[in-house]
Amino acid sequence: MKNEVKEHVISMLVNNRPGVLARVAGVFGRLGYNIESLCVAETISPKVSRITSVSKADPAFTEKVKKQLNRLVDVISVAELEDGTSAKREMMLIGITIDEKNRPELSRAIAMFGCTVISMQESYCILQVAGNKGDVETVLNFLKPLGVKDIARTGAVALESES
Amino acid sequence: MEKTGAEILLNTLSKEGVSEIFGYPGASTLAIHDCMNETGIKHLLVRHEQAAAHAADGYARATGKVGVCIATSGPGATNLVTGIATAYMDSTPMIALTGQVTTGLLGSDAFQETDIIGITMPITKHSFLVQDVRDMASTVREAMNIATSGRPGPVLIDLPRDVLAARSNDDEEVAGGFPEQQEAHFGEEERRRLKQIVRLLNESERPVLLVGGGVKLSRAFTELADVIQKGNIPFVTTMMGIGSVYTPNGFNLGLIGTHGTDLANRIVHQSDFILAVGARFSDRTTSVIEEFAPLATIAQIDVDPTSIGKNIKTDISVVSDIRVALQELLGLVNEKKREDWIARIDRERERIAKEGSDDGCGPAGECIRMVQECMPEKTIAVTDVGLNQIWAIRSWKVKIPRGLITPGGLGTMGFSVPASMGARIGAIDHEVVVFTGDGGFFMNIQELATIGFYNIPVKIVVFNNGNLGMIRQIQHHFYSSRYRDSRLSDLVNITEIAKGFGIPSEKVSADDPRKGIEKLCSSEGPFLLEVVVDEDNYVYPIIPPGKSNVEMIYGRSE
Ligand SMILES: Cc1ncc(C[n+]2csc(CCOP(=O)(O)OP(=O)(O)O)c2C)c(N)n1
Ligand SMILES: [Mg+2]
Repeated sequence: MKNEVKEHVISMLVNNRPGVLARVAGVFGRLGYNIESLCVAETISPKVSRITSVSKADPAFTEKVKKQLNRLVDVISVAELEDGTSAKREMMLIGITIDEKNRPELSRAIAMFGCTVISMQESYCILQVAGNKGDVETVLNFLKPLGVKDIARTGAVALESES
Repeated sequence: MEKTGAEILLNTLSKEGVSEIFGYPGASTLAIHDCMNETGIKHLLVRHEQAAAHAADGYARATGKVGVCIATSGPGATNLVTGIATAYMDSTPMIALTGQVTTGLLGSDAFQETDIIGITMPITKHSFLVQDVRDMASTVREAMNIATSGRPGPVLIDLPRDVLAARSNDDEEVAGGFPEQQEAHFGEEERRRLKQIVRLLNESERPVLLVGGGVKLSRAFTELADVIQKGNIPFVTTMMGIGSVYTPNGFNLGLIGTHGTDLANRIVHQSDFILAVGARFSDRTTSVIEEFAPLATIAQIDVDPTSIGKNIKTDISVVSDIRVALQELLGLVNEKKREDWIARIDRERERIAKEGSDDGCGPAGECIRMVQECMPEKTIAVTDVGLNQIWAIRSWKVKIPRGLITPGGLGTMGFSVPASMGARIGAIDHEVVVFTGDGGFFMNIQELATIGFYNIPVKIVVFNNGNLGMIRQIQHHFYSSRYRDSRLSDLVNITEIAKGFGIPSEKVSADDPRKGIEKLCSSEGPFLLEVVVDEDNYVYPIIPPGKSNVEMIYGRSE
């Protein structure tokens, strides 16, 4: 059974009002599924939010979660997004301490990976990386030995490639 | 004209057809109680908020209308919780109104503040916190719509005190609101699937209909009866399905599952096609899921997609309002005699009768049959939980839609007495009889005061076996008769207590109950009959935990 566990991206449109996220999260919790990452923000319509969640789960997951989510009055639509037919991106902010030793290597990495420098102090900088999960992790792994102090990452946001 | 939030709330409820509310006041809901009379809605003051929720539930189950209850913030609201959960499990359309502290104090642990929306989130279909008086009317309408549409259920409206006092122009509404809840749509796809089901049903040789609570909720009583008659299809019911259909011929095989009849369970086991209508295949129905109906193709019709294939893998299903689906189905189902199948069922029935394995629940069951005989045909029976529930379900022959009310999903002891008040007030033309155990009776005994005060003419039968009987039976079979913590007292004088509440009462033995039953049935107002039952009057057959529906334990209810 274990090897059937895979990553599921669920994208839902919900009413943009208080308490909705708690209801949505409650569904995952009651069914015993963990949420690996979660993104919530307004869509073009201010009355509607998009929630994108990622869970590692067994094949029964999608069906169960979709049905229960659809039962919530505030949920407008639910879909699982598959790799081939959707665009999926995440973003990471990486805080790194700078010293004489790592400065040259750091400058090279910034250029090589095309990181955006968000803030630069004398001994600390914050870089931004965006891409798919693999891209973001490659950069992180490369920078780790150079003195990464903290990170904040968004988790996936995703859209179906065809509307 | 400007009105207060409380007035708008009640006026909107009234326009939506609400005429009674069961409740208990507190400082934060006084604005509502203060103008209740003026809006033409009658308030019935219970003696505990749990009873308000059960009464609203009983009202809804007896009438098909929405039941409404109200409680104050904090402890009032938390006292509703068991009643809301009971309604949720059995999909009762209900509105629970709760007082709340003023909006400025929300989240500050103010006096009598509880996050009742958070507490009830998993046991309500939806809930609202009204933060602006201009949202009041639209929220109430929306709540009524949600409570009654699709698979019905309880909806909670949390009402901060300042919003109830604030004034607004009745019909001025903040734009927005919810879209109308869509009823399940019966389109091409549904028709195609239904046709497939009917083909399988027509081809099958040993079909059984499995009738669940959804039939009542969608008022599909006549449609179901017509399908059964036309196709000559025997049927079994889940606990919630009891009272959905009455056919005088032998097609009703009875209840299936853990507390089901030998006949129903055996016939389901032999059938080659099962069509479930409005049933979710709960563990009480199927017992060991892998061994449920091993020979049958299983088809399912339900309005709630989450009920389909939730517990059992169905071979084919349709999401649809049950009434709509049965209307379609009626036109397509073949008139078929099914002589072999009916004859086989009759042989099984005779064998069981000869062996006496479906016993009649002993003297307690006989007592229930006698009560039914001397009450009018339209009488509604309300059960509690325990042996008394199984005795009642097995012995009361339901002859009218909504003729039996039971808390099947949650199994809430203490349900019956308050639910009967609601049922009697809602279904004004029907007599209401309660069957309860002594344990469950004590759980909401305070409601005798409500019954006495409003002179609600319910007939209460308390089966006094001095024990938590059903627990005792489990201990007898599966805990080597170690009766730990299941013995109640026989020191309590129940009839004197009833009289103390102003309710006439008699005590009889289950072996000789006639005189008492006659008094119960002929009383004008409320009446309580205590029936003393032997503590070993169990129910048989029963299915042990972890066993399939045909591995029953037999015995005699003495
Ligand atoms: C509120 C609640 N608490 C506990 C239980 C567990 N329980 C199920 S049946 C039962 C015994 C009921 O005893 P009684 O009301 O006397 O009915 P009897 O079985 O004796 O007819 C108990 C304790 C329950 N169903 N509900
Ligand atoms: Mg008892």
